[in-house]
Amino acid sequence: MSSGSTQRAVGDSLTGFEREITQNRVDAYAEASGDHNPIHLDESYASTTQFGTRIAHGMLSLALVTEMLATEFSSTWHSGGKLKVRFSAPVFPGETVVTYGEITAIDETDDGLSATCTIGCKKPDGTDAVVGRATVPLE
Amino acid sequence: MVTPLISTATVGHEFGPYDVTIPADRANAYAASVGGEESPDYGDSLAPIMVVAAALTRLIDDLGLFSGGLQTVHAGQEVSWARQIRIGEQVEATARLAANSVRRGNHFATVAVTYRDSTGTEVGTSSTTIIVSGEAS
Repeated sequence: MSSGSTQRAVGDSLTGFEREITQNRVDAYAEASGDHNPIHLDESYASTTQFGTRIAHGMLSLALVTEMLATEFSSTWHSGGKLKVRFSAPVFPGETVVTYGEITAIDETDDGLSATCTIGCKKPDGTDAVVGRATVPLE
Repeated sequence: MVTPLISTATVGHEFGPYDVTIPADRANAYAASVGGEESPDYGDSLAPIMVVAAALTRLIDDLGLFSGGLQTVHAGQEVSWARQIRIGEQVEATARLAANSVRRGNHFATVAVTYRDSTGTEVGTSSTTIIVSGEAS
């Protein structure tokens, strides 16, 4: 089903994917974002924090969720898409996370049809690292 | 120790403007970090979330959140985007402290950001909520 299609329905799942969050990915994200906070990069420093070890950038987990949205709604996500999420648990390097989403509403707006989706990214134990909602134009 | 701006800034405090133009090397680093077989082909464009992350890094720095002793939790994020941005395209971010309160010794702050292209046209907005603990003040 192509994005932008009006054939989507409430209850449709978005196509999620798994991604192992390696320290190499965290290091690369630090280069990309400019965020070199030692809690992400320096194990000796991170061991003194509340987490006890390095954690991935929350925005890295969110970036994975937006990859899912950009794939699912390739022609509209970047042109009118919105999201609101909370970061509910840290992701530790070496963990594999899974992105997920589901259409919960389709509404007629002044700009055409729009899908509202629950979105998120789960840790290996099933808890949410990122959870929230996105709104994406369908046309 | 210098008092971090998060301790003194009031609602309405403005940050930036920040040049958040993303060059090719950082776009490549983003692909190495986030990308996989199922990733979309962005061509010469960027994932907007990368621009948001670049602005957030500048904000964290200006708020003094890299100061020793502070522990910052990124609690929430909102993003809306109007159009795709090309690699190397000039984007400027301006930010405003939208909320700043102290509860049980922790700072809860929300910063709203607007992104504009070289013509001054708004291309996106974001809002970041952070919780900061460990302040001396």
